[in-house]
Amino acid sequence: MTTLASHELTIDIPGRDSGSPLGLHIRPGQIWGVLGPNGVGKTTLLHTLAGLRPPRSGQVLLDHKPQASLRRKQISQQVGLVFQDRQDGFPATVLETALIGRHPWLSAWQMESSEDIVLAEKALQALDVIHLRDRLVSTLSGGERQRVAIATLMTQNPDVWLLDEPTNHLDLHHQVAVMNLLTAKANNDKAVFMCLHDLNLAARWCDHLLLMYPDGEACWGPSEAMLVPSALERLYGQRLITVEADGAPVFVPVRS
Amino acid sequence: MTTRRLTVFILLLLVPVTVLGETLCASDALDRNVCLPGPATRIVSLSPGATELLFSAGAGDLVVAVSAWSDYPPQAEQLPRVGDSSRLDLEAILALAPDLVVAWVDGNSRQQLDRLAQLGVTVFWLAPREFEHIPQAIEDLSVLTGTPATGVAQAELFRNDLIELEENYAEASLIRVFYQVWDQPLMTINRDELIGKAIELCGGVNVFGHLPRLVPRISTEAVLEAAPEVIVTSGRQESDRQWLEDWTAFASLPAVAAGNLYLEPPDLLARPTLRMLDGVKHLCQTLETARARL
Amino acid sequence: MPGSSFLRPLVGLVLMGMLAVLVAVSVGSSHVGFSKVLWVFAGGGSELDRTLILDLRLPRVLSAFVVGGLLAVAGALMQVLLRNPLADPYVLGLSGGAAVGALLAMLAGTAGFIVSGSAFAGAMLATLLVFGLAHGSGSWTPSRLLLTGVVVAAGWGALITLILSMTPAARLPGMLYWLMGDLSHSGQPWPGMLVLVLVCLLVLPLGRSLNVLARGSMQAAALGVSVRPLEWLIYLLASVLTATAVTMAGAVGFVGLVVPHMLRLVLGNDQRLILPACALAGGILLVLADTLARNVIAPEQLPVGVITALLGVPTFLYLLYRSR
Repeated sequence: MTTLASHELTIDIPGRDSGSPLGLHIRPGQIWGVLGPNGVGKTTLLHTLAGLRPPRSGQVLLDHKPQASLRRKQISQQVGLVFQDRQDGFPATVLETALIGRHPWLSAWQMESSEDIVLAEKALQALDVIHLRDRLVSTLSGGERQRVAIATLMTQNPDVWLLDEPTNHLDLHHQVAVMNLLTAKANNDKAVFMCLHDLNLAARWCDHLLLMYPDGEACWGPSEAMLVPSALERLYGQRLITVEADGAPVFVPVRS
Repeated sequence: MTTRRLTVFILLLLVPVTVLGETLCASDALDRNVCLPGPATRIVSLSPGATELLFSAGAGDLVVAVSAWSDYPPQAEQLPRVGDSSRLDLEAILALAPDLVVAWVDGNSRQQLDRLAQLGVTVFWLAPREFEHIPQAIEDLSVLTGTPATGVAQAELFRNDLIELEENYAEASLIRVFYQVWDQPLMTINRDELIGKAIELCGGVNVFGHLPRLVPRISTEAVLEAAPEVIVTSGRQESDRQWLEDWTAFASLPAVAAGNLYLEPPDLLARPTLRMLDGVKHLCQTLETARARL
Repeated sequence: MPGSSFLRPLVGLVLMGMLAVLVAVSVGSSHVGFSKVLWVFAGGGSELDRTLILDLRLPRVLSAFVVGGLLAVAGALMQVLLRNPLADPYVLGLSGGAAVGALLAMLAGTAGFIVSGSAFAGAMLATLLVFGLAHGSGSWTPSRLLLTGVVVAAGWGALITLILSMTPAARLPGMLYWLMGDLSHSGQPWPGMLVLVLVCLLVLPLGRSLNVLARGSMQAAALGVSVRPLEWLIYLLASVLTATAVTMAGAVGFVGLVVPHMLRLVLGNDQRLILPACALAGGILLVLADTLARNVIAPEQLPVGVITALLGVPTFLYLLYRSR
């Protein structure tokens, strides 16, 4: 199982000062949540960790090896990513979409085998979209597409799961189902690292948090240590009321 | 040059008459009666063919400007240009203040010329589609320029020569002719084209004479099927001899078997002018040579 | 998607292709019966029949097949490259470059090999020009590539008009037929066929990577595709295919757009099936179109580009209308 780490990492957002360097260690079994206001660079960080864009300084390490020295195919067997927005210029069915998750694991001449199809179908089943198996993705609702995208990552089955707003477009029931699925994966020794809008989802399911402030500062650590109301108020520039429910803190914004 | 002097003499004779206000009229290719208050003195020619006909009509000295590619007679090359036949510079034409513009139905834009006519310029249209149209055009132009004597003389010469040619080849045995206009795409002419008429006059049978379009595009296999006994082309340059070479790949063609592949002098057949007569003569001789080889 | 399900459509297309070639060889301005064609293939027949079928029709029909295949595969590749199902092989101005090359050669009074050679040179120059400009200072995105290509194509268009307006009338028909796309002087089909087969063999193992690339470059990179080298490669391959086709037959329109699109509607969007299917279906379409071009007003001829456009436009609109 893979540990994804960053060493003195600053992300590269053109026209923006480098924030404080990040030294993250994302270990198997952990569920990380990234919190911060809009435009603070959460998506850029995710892309940088996935090796899709170069950092401004520092490096990303996969099991202590610099990610930049690895081949793309090898990286994609260890790290997978669910994007926030998706292109579908060409028609593709739900099953075909999930099956592309097998790409890192197949050689050039290899066709998808029946085992690959079984893997994809299992993932679709887990995300409750198996009934849409033969539908075109372009005909699905936003929430259904989101679940197909997560199913694709599940088919890819990397060690480190990076997700950009995985609960976007999902109804409450499916939000909970997805968070439970990710928890199950972490219990299965996967590392999960996701950006979240919803402070309370993060508080409820994440065991580690990274807070990214608008001024470029960042702090990270176990959730209990990070969920300090004053820190969160500074993070969002929003006053919060903290209550406790079901053994976890719940943060409610103060009206006006 | 006695004819030139004669022309000038006749011109001088005519001047007083026109001063008296005699209107000159001729019927053009659009069947319109075109009239001028007196002989034209400033003429613009809008196609190489028209330029040549104007010079033949003895009006060469009156031409003040010509369209692009007007290269015959050599004096024409010295004249100012007013644009390509299909894209004329109307401003330049108007600035020359011509009293007669000679246009060509198959080359000039009707719209452009109508605009000129609206602006008060007299336009005379030519469209030679028969041999007879050539002397007719020369006569008409000489009437409008006040030199009818020259025109009539030239026209008579042409008609007599043509009749002589016709008589010479009236009894000639028929020979199947393919006339190649271009090679990429492969094009020929039908029987309504002047060259098609020239072929018939020389006792040839145009194998594609029956096609409906004036300049049909055909396939190589249609030529093989038609089995011409002689292939003639009049490419623009010597390098077009390659067109003929290409046919030698088909040994089954009667024309190839007999070695009857001929390059006619370019330009002679290309324009319906007096020079065409030389082109027809040359073509008839070529077909005569071809007959001997069959 | 097991491989066996790819086999049936491909075998079907191969059979249709053979039928199309046989039909195309049997009809022409001179009538040669179907049985006579078989007789000629068996080594018999009169000398005229043999010349007609083996020297004239067969090379032309095979050329049509190759050109159609080249254009359809090039179109399918361009569509994946630009992530746009409406892209065609000419969208980046490649045919414009080829046309300028060819027309300049024709204007200079040359013919045959020199015209083909300068068409190919023009096409490759256009490719490098667009890629260099779109590359600019660093990143190029499909939309930037597309925009650069469209603007450069407009520039080529202006140059073509300029050349045409400077050309003496007698040379115009040759140029116009070249611009419309015409197979009557495509020469031997073998070099083109070699290019088509080689490129197909080269892209087939890339098929699944192309499937992933069609979902966007980020997604593809996240799934282990080396996006930049792959995009370079397919751009280069599509350019070589198009340049070869343009060199053989001028700018035949619509094949590269219509064929991949029709096949996607029927067969889905797996490039491992679509690319070989394009090579076959594009070939069939152009063979049939050229047969029409040769025979509609025989013995007179039409340029095949006119037929592909006349067939392509309504077919495309109908498919678009039917598919939601």
